[in-house]
Amino acid sequence: MGNLTDQHIDYIIKDLNYRGIIVEGFQDEVVDHICSAVEIEIGKGKRFIDAYHEVLKSFGSTSGLRKTQFQTLKSKNQNSRIMIRNYLTIAWRNLKRHAFYSFINIAGLAIGVAACIIIVLFVLEELNYDTFNTRAERIYRVHNEVKYGTNHFHMNGCSAPTAQMLAENFPEIESTVRFIQFGTYLVKPEDTVENIKEENVAWTDSTIFKIFSLNIIEGDDKTALTQPASVAISRRTAKKYFPFTSALGKSLILDNKYHFTVTAVYEDIPQASHFHFDILMSLVGDLPPAKLAQRTTLFDSYNFRTYLLLKPGAEAKALEAKLPGFIEKYRGKQSENGTFSMEKFRASGNKYEMSLMPLRDIHLHSDLDGEFESNGSITYVYLFSTIAAFILLIACINFMNLSTARSANRAKEVGVRKVMGSLRSHLMRQFLTESTLVTSVAFIFALGLAYLLLPFFNILSQKQLQLPFNDPAFYLALLGAGLLVGLLAGVYPSFYLSAFRPVNVLKGHLSVSIKSGFIRGALVVFQFVISIFLIVGAITVNRQLSYMQNKKLGYEKEQVIIVHDAYALRPNKVQTFKNEALRIDLIESSSISSYVPVQIQNAGRGDRTFWKTGNEPTTENLLNIQLWSVDHDYFNTFKMKFKMGRGFSEEFPSDGSAVVLNEAAVSQFGLSGDPIGQSISANSGAETKSWTIIGVVENFHFATMRENIAPLGIFLGNTDGFVSFRFRTDNPQEVIHAVEKVWKSLAPGQPFQYSFLDVDFGKMYWSEERLGKLFTVFATLAIAIACLGLFALTAFTAEQRSKEIGIRKVLGASVDSIVLLLSRDFGKLIIIAFIISGPLAWYAVNWWLKMYTYKAVIGVAVYFLAGALALIIALFTISFHSIKAASANPVTSLRNE
Amino acid sequence: MHSPELLKGTLQTIVLKVLKDHGKMYGYEITQRVKELSEGRILLTEGALYPTLHKLEAEGLLKTEVVNIGKRIRKYYTLTAEGRSIAKDRVYEFIDFIKTMSSVLQVNVG
Repeated sequence: MGNLTDQHIDYIIKDLNYRGIIVEGFQDEVVDHICSAVEIEIGKGKRFIDAYHEVLKSFGSTSGLRKTQFQTLKSKNQNSRIMIRNYLTIAWRNLKRHAFYSFINIAGLAIGVAACIIIVLFVLEELNYDTFNTRAERIYRVHNEVKYGTNHFHMNGCSAPTAQMLAENFPEIESTVRFIQFGTYLVKPEDTVENIKEENVAWTDSTIFKIFSLNIIEGDDKTALTQPASVAISRRTAKKYFPFTSALGKSLILDNKYHFTVTAVYEDIPQASHFHFDILMSLVGDLPPAKLAQRTTLFDSYNFRTYLLLKPGAEAKALEAKLPGFIEKYRGKQSENGTFSMEKFRASGNKYEMSLMPLRDIHLHSDLDGEFESNGSITYVYLFSTIAAFILLIACINFMNLSTARSANRAKEVGVRKVMGSLRSHLMRQFLTESTLVTSVAFIFALGLAYLLLPFFNILSQKQLQLPFNDPAFYLALLGAGLLVGLLAGVYPSFYLSAFRPVNVLKGHLSVSIKSGFIRGALVVFQFVISIFLIVGAITVNRQLSYMQNKKLGYEKEQVIIVHDAYALRPNKVQTFKNEALRIDLIESSSISSYVPVQIQNAGRGDRTFWKTGNEPTTENLLNIQLWSVDHDYFNTFKMKFKMGRGFSEEFPSDGSAVVLNEAAVSQFGLSGDPIGQSISANSGAETKSWTIIGVVENFHFATMRENIAPLGIFLGNTDGFVSFRFRTDNPQEVIHAVEKVWKSLAPGQPFQYSFLDVDFGKMYWSEERLGKLFTVFATLAIAIACLGLFALTAFTAEQRSKEIGIRKVLGASVDSIVLLLSRDFGKLIIIAFIISGPLAWYAVNWWLKMYTYKAVIGVAVYFLAGALALIIALFTISFHSIKAASANPVTSLRNE
Repeated sequence: MHSPELLKGTLQTIVLKVLKDHGKMYGYEITQRVKELSEGRILLTEGALYPTLHKLEAEGLLKTEVVNIGKRIRKYYTLTAEGRSIAKDRVYEFIDFIKTMSSVLQVNVG
């Protein structure tokens, strides 16, 4: 065995180096291996160089050596734990070194994710309404649709006997339950004086406990509500009236006249339910509502909300298909003169249909008059989900843009890593680790942010959402979402960065795409398309809102106070109350009426079918109009204007059989010539009665502006629904005190309920107001996140072009021209975004406004305003860095030390 | 000479066992030792040996020691405690495998 000389060893080291064997650890090893093998060969009598080449061949020459080196590296790097630690270290150092960009990335993402978390909570709750009912999948509500002449009703109620008849006819129905509501009730326990007003009160069948999952905590679900004058109350109601004892067997008095015995106490109904009754009264016995429920005829009133529980396995669609036959069988028979036939009815273009609404769809898909509570809307669920996704996307785009923009800085790192033997997959893994790290940090901040902001959102959306901190699925979802967003945001930069060719980047040739940044530009455009779209949305909703609030209504809504539930003054003190209150000199006029010209919750309005006197009543000329009872002072208290004729007057004793119509009623009755003096008729009990038209009042808005102004008939009558006062003072508090004093003296123990007409009016547009506010918030968020990205991007470009700016300045460019130069590119992008978002927004605005009969004009100006707003905010954002760059001393950027 | 295909799965076992029996060894020594033990019928190629060694090292089964010999640097491999126990397992696993193979192929080994 011959030993090698140092020259030989040097030769081998250099030669191997030349052949590309450079990896630390591996290189030494191969040298030693080859030397040992060469020594053996030399020992066999070979020349050094021949021996060396012999050995090299056994390694597979240059390519074999390199392959071995590559595989050694690969197998060494497969230990992922070490590499991940390395990736995390590098990522952490990178975040720290570029604190500014990291902050923008994390802040943007955190805001976006926080908004997303909140919206997802909202959407999830909306989608899971009524699911607490264990039999929810089998519960259906019966809806009716009736159309004849110019009348078209879609009702969520049925006539009283429908439930029983359905159950008798269709064996697949396991059980039925009906609800009927008569507004609010004044409630007190026996032996007390103070009444409390309760809003969530309904009369119902005892089967409610078999159908809905109301947990009874006291009493027996088999006997609850089966006895006359029995009542079931919620836990909170029980606590309110019987705080220290069990409520079971105690008495409650409703409206000072109905005496009930509590037979069950049930757990409060969960938030996500389409009704929240606190007091349920039995429909058994001989109280008036119970008697109504026991009627077996009268198919024409649809007062009872009727729910069916189908047997397991029964098909709702199949049952629905049998309903036309059911209508034929019963509705035909019940008609008054017996000449009614379904075929004839349908043949003249009319419609009478029954349908089944699945319980779980009620909250999001049913928005009819007389819902128990105002329901949600599937449109808004879609809308907000989309907005959440977009906001998240905008935040992700920031991340992508900043990563690729800064890639120029990292190109060298990529080059060196590749030369040192990194594979593309290693680099991708590294960049993905980095983005996942950033998103994880962002998610943690987002969670905190969401926690802080949720109370505000709850106020805006009238919800009681909470972050489900106890739910492991929540954390799992967050983790999953974090990883997903990390991948989403990191995948493009990692592909992009890892694709650099080391030769190019180390020489300083960056690929053209880094500089031109077409994709980056496109992404910025996308961000601003969404932002401008949301701004237009926010402006539109707010415009429509202010349009509705400021439109001329046909009456004056300011300075009117309404006293509710005047029936508490029964039997005979309403008139006294009015007269006494009129003595207060702040009060100008007063009126007692069944209805006021705004919609107040829990107060449905009555209507009746009329026809023009002299005509034979047929389905073609019947008109369903609202029927309001008022006193003589109604029109001047609300300051309504007359188109023709006059209002009610005490000078005309015959006004008791007179009517004032609104313009809509006049035109829909098709009254020709002068309507004054003509008359209209209706069935009143068994006989037909007629009223003479003495005046036509100008159309005034008494419903929301989503609807047309409906035909309306105003009659003189004794009523005790509301007492309205018009006052003249800037201090309404005084009026309230004075009126309350009168009330207290006349109705001791009855709650004094009042509201201001303009406030009630505002409440009708709560949902619009909410939408407007939410839109404003989200639009602000979107543009804030987008601008955050833009801010960082300009910082980056300004930094990149600092030498160029220096040279321009040295050659005489002014600060202005350089600011312009830097702003121009981004300005262009925003103008492109404006051009794209314009038509999109226009389409969406028109779609939304279709809901309204009375709508604001959203002119081109609104779009330009939104575009200009986006542009100004963006330019303002850009200006910070561009002015800084432009006013910098060229010496600092050009100095080369 | 045995085919390299057959050797593939047993490479780690061979390396671990040889190191277990001989303590400290360097790459070239391992190839020679294996050649000797197999009477020239198993030739560990360098292309297979070094990736295996580095992989085992990364997994913590081997530790290394570097010695300067004149201009050359020699890297010695020894088993770690974990490596020793694994080496034993691997050998038993392989014997088991041979038994199974012999019954599958219906031949008697040895």
